Amino acid sequence: MDNWHTSEPNPIQRTRLWYSLIMIVMAVFVVRLFYLEIIRYDHYKSLALSDQVREYEVRPERGTISAELNGEVVPLVLNQKLFTVFADPSIIKNISKTADAIAPVLGQESEAVRAKLSTKHTRYVVLKKKVSPEVSKKLLALKYPGIASQETHYRVYPQGQTAAQVLGFVNDDGEGKYGVEQALDTSLAGTKGRLKAVTDVNGVPLAASSDNLLIEPKAGNDISLTLDLGMQTQVEGIVKAAQEKFRSKNVSAIVMETNSGAVKAMANYPTFDPANYQRVEDGTIFQNFSVASPIEPGSITKILTVAAAIDKGVIGPNTSYYDPGSWTIDGAKVLNVAEGTGTGSQTIKSLLNLSLNTGATWTLMQLGGGKLNAQGRDALYDYFVRHYRLSEKTGIEQGYEGTGYVPEPDDKDNGINITYANMSFGQAYSASALQMASALSAVVNGGTYYQPQLLAKTKSPNGKITQTQPKVVGTNVVSPKTSASMRDLLQYVTDDHARTGFKYMDFGSEYSVGGKTGTAQIIDEKTHLYREDAFNGTFMGYVGGDMPQYTIIVYNIEPHGYSGFAGAQTGQPIFADIAHMLINNYGVTPKKS
Amino acid sequence: MLEQPRYKRGVEPSEPSRKHRPDYWLVVITACLLAIGLIVVYSISPALTELRGGNYVAHQIIAIVLSIVAFLVTARIPLRQWQKWQWWLLGLAALGTLVALVTPPIPAYPQHRWIRLGSGFSLQSVEVLKFALLISLSGFLASRVREGTIANSKMTLKPLAIALGGIGIVVAFVQSDLGSAGVILAMAIIMGFVAGLPVRRILGIGILVVVLTVLAVSTTPYRRARLTAYMHPENNCATASGHQACQALIAVGSGGMIGLGLGKSVQAYGYLPEAQNDSIFAIYAEKFGFIGSVVLLGLFGALFARLRLIIERAPDTFSRLVVTGVLAWLSTQAIINIGAMIGLLPLKGITLPLISYGGTSVLFVGAALGLVFQVSHYTSFHSRFIPRGGGQRNRYEHTTDRRRIRRPHQAGLGGRA
Repeated sequence: MDNWHTSEPNPIQRTRLWYSLIMIVMAVFVVRLFYLEIIRYDHYKSLALSDQVREYEVRPERGTISAELNGEVVPLVLNQKLFTVFADPSIIKNISKTADAIAPVLGQESEAVRAKLSTKHTRYVVLKKKVSPEVSKKLLALKYPGIASQETHYRVYPQGQTAAQVLGFVNDDGEGKYGVEQALDTSLAGTKGRLKAVTDVNGVPLAASSDNLLIEPKAGNDISLTLDLGMQTQVEGIVKAAQEKFRSKNVSAIVMETNSGAVKAMANYPTFDPANYQRVEDGTIFQNFSVASPIEPGSITKILTVAAAIDKGVIGPNTSYYDPGSWTIDGAKVLNVAEGTGTGSQTIKSLLNLSLNTGATWTLMQLGGGKLNAQGRDALYDYFVRHYRLSEKTGIEQGYEGTGYVPEPDDKDNGINITYANMSFGQAYSASALQMASALSAVVNGGTYYQPQLLAKTKSPNGKITQTQPKVVGTNVVSPKTSASMRDLLQYVTDDHARTGFKYMDFGSEYSVGGKTGTAQIIDEKTHLYREDAFNGTFMGYVGGDMPQYTIIVYNIEPHGYSGFAGAQTGQPIFADIAHMLINNYGVTPKKS
Repeated sequence: MLEQPRYKRGVEPSEPSRKHRPDYWLVVITACLLAIGLIVVYSISPALTELRGGNYVAHQIIAIVLSIVAFLVTARIPLRQWQKWQWWLLGLAALGTLVALVTPPIPAYPQHRWIRLGSGFSLQSVEVLKFALLISLSGFLASRVREGTIANSKMTLKPLAIALGGIGIVVAFVQSDLGSAGVILAMAIIMGFVAGLPVRRILGIGILVVVLTVLAVSTTPYRRARLTAYMHPENNCATASGHQACQALIAVGSGGMIGLGLGKSVQAYGYLPEAQNDSIFAIYAEKFGFIGSVVLLGLFGALFARLRLIIERAPDTFSRLVVTGVLAWLSTQAIINIGAMIGLLPLKGITLPLISYGGTSVLFVGAALGLVFQVSHYTSFHSRFIPRGGGQRNRYEHTTDRRRIRRPHQAGLGGRA
């Protein structure tokens, strides 16, 4: 050792002393390396893998949605590849410099970006979604560590808001919500692939790794809707104008092919912009009202009640009867809407034309052999539920289809007779516009109930096209003879309306147009009493030549600013607009005879 | 080309040693280390380019070429000449530091440590400083040894402490480069120790440094946080202060016995910060495992062993101290760097000599080794310390004793290497 107590320190000994210290330290390092790399290898390997290996769902490309316009296929929903820009705050070196540099590229305030970059305890902060490939590229070219982007597919809507509620949207998790997107989610979505990969810190798989496990994603089917886009656009315009005119809560209208169930137009207003669905505050607007929201439909029901009675043979289309103008049932009174009308001798024609509640109640009595009894109730229930398929889902390709409600005919509570009397003219039960339109189609087309359909074609990724066929779910809903009688009765109603002041109901003699108004009372959810301040105006009918071609239904919910009856004043004009539009633009076949 | 050193103005009173075959092992080991560094940088360059852009391999090759040039220059220009230039060198270092301080930093590296030369090239001023200090400290200490005032506090310790204190403050606090300040301090202390500074004084300085460090750490929250992170790296993976240490441990530990293989490092893909630089040992360990790590430590050990031999056989105090300084420089830096990567020391942000990407480090380490190579021309097996006053000559020079031991064409190192 160095004899530093003497005056002669020895540099060789001193060198050897600290050199041996270096060697000891290096020996310690070797021991430590042995500990880390051999003894604790499993521990660190698993730590590394838990960091580095990520499992991904690889989302397949979702199918597109299109519809026809003048015989050409027009896309309604397409996909766009956009980028989600995100940051890993843990590896950002200089937050304010990074924020200042990237904020202008993102079109954001650098203050806001700085705040996001300063997020603690996370390695993933979304800076902006739906960034174009150009902006993403520009941003990555700045090469700030910790800033990255991820490719994401977004739905785009070349036709804007057209048919928004029919289409629905796709949420951030790639799930179809509402409308066709929800109902046909499985078909549109395809099959997810799986990728298990060692990735870089931003989660980008390292191509070099052979541990990657891949299940190829399978693209979704492209679908084509039965909608006629031109018709859809016009019906949407009509519905919107009506909603604005009557300041209604909602206006819905459906045009469907009477002899196939294919929905050609289905519009509600207000609606939403599917491209910006996130901005919607009240989620109920996502609902396709005409499918999802059954209401008490009002007097349009009298068509169904009369058809049931004629079909049962208990009345004929030309039957006359004595109408007392009011009935007292279970202690409650059935009156006509216009007080004092209807008293005296009436016919089935006038029952429908004047929309006599007392007449509908009388018809229900005829189903019970002249009395309001269980037999009549059972018969009406049988027609409503088994023939007209009310209170059942139609099976339309829409999310959240409402079933509506038809009370059971059993005499469980004391008011069942008055309930059924109400049902006969359209209250005390509920049905969606689509259910009513489908039932009417069956009543006027000869008695065949077609399932309403929106799906026209499905094209699989390998190019195989499946054409959807009309689907008959019920025959002999009413007999062909009853159906013919109903067409005559409804044509009579329309003609009479045209004669008595509703000039717009004149469609010319070469076309057959029939239909009926409804002024529906609205139950107050709180008091369970019918409201005095608002009604729903409804109308359902058909337009055609020798045979009905299109069934049309209108639900005008809580219109304002009209005098008279909601059905005639706020439902009928919308029907007429649509019917004229169909005759003028959509080649309704005129009568041959 | 190489001449016998000419001694002027009584700078070196001892007899000159004869020139002989230099220590080629030094060159071989250095070349191996540089090659390993280049291979690692090459293999992780795709990851680096993907994350941050830039051509790392080309830069490193340029740095190595410059380093070889520097090596040749410093090996050929006599040490005495370098000593005469010491004030120029110190001036250059001071100027470099000043320019670095006024150079606007870039976001990735906010500290004022670099002089940016454009197109991705930059110069780290502290490396110039280390080289200048190597020469000037050696000269200063050697002259004190010669004058016999090495143990005199007033003559030696005081000016040394003042100069190093000033440099330390600039490097450690203004440039926030505590690691480099530590390397400079270690160089000075070890050179002083070898030169013959009294051990009590050195211990005193050591205790003072420890107390100051403890104070600095315990009073500053962020330094405390760093220390905590260092103590428990795996619990602090998600924090800014613990992230690098934790990821370094994961990189080293996941290497296992033989490593993942050259192109298979995953940690370089953004997990481990400064993968090409301060963290390169961890990436190396991930790629080559325990065996590779031991080989690398062995290469460093061999380099240090060569340096030690040259120190012991240096012909005079000045050249001994120069080589001592180089060994102190390289070993301290390697220990601080590797120690941090394997979780034994706190992270300090300095390079692993010869391996790390970083032109300035490679360049000046090359220059320093050039000086060592020059000294290895003149080593003498029997060379011993010249105690004091410089008057006493090497007893063995020009004696039969020396001749008996000397082998043809190869003296000094050849006998034992």
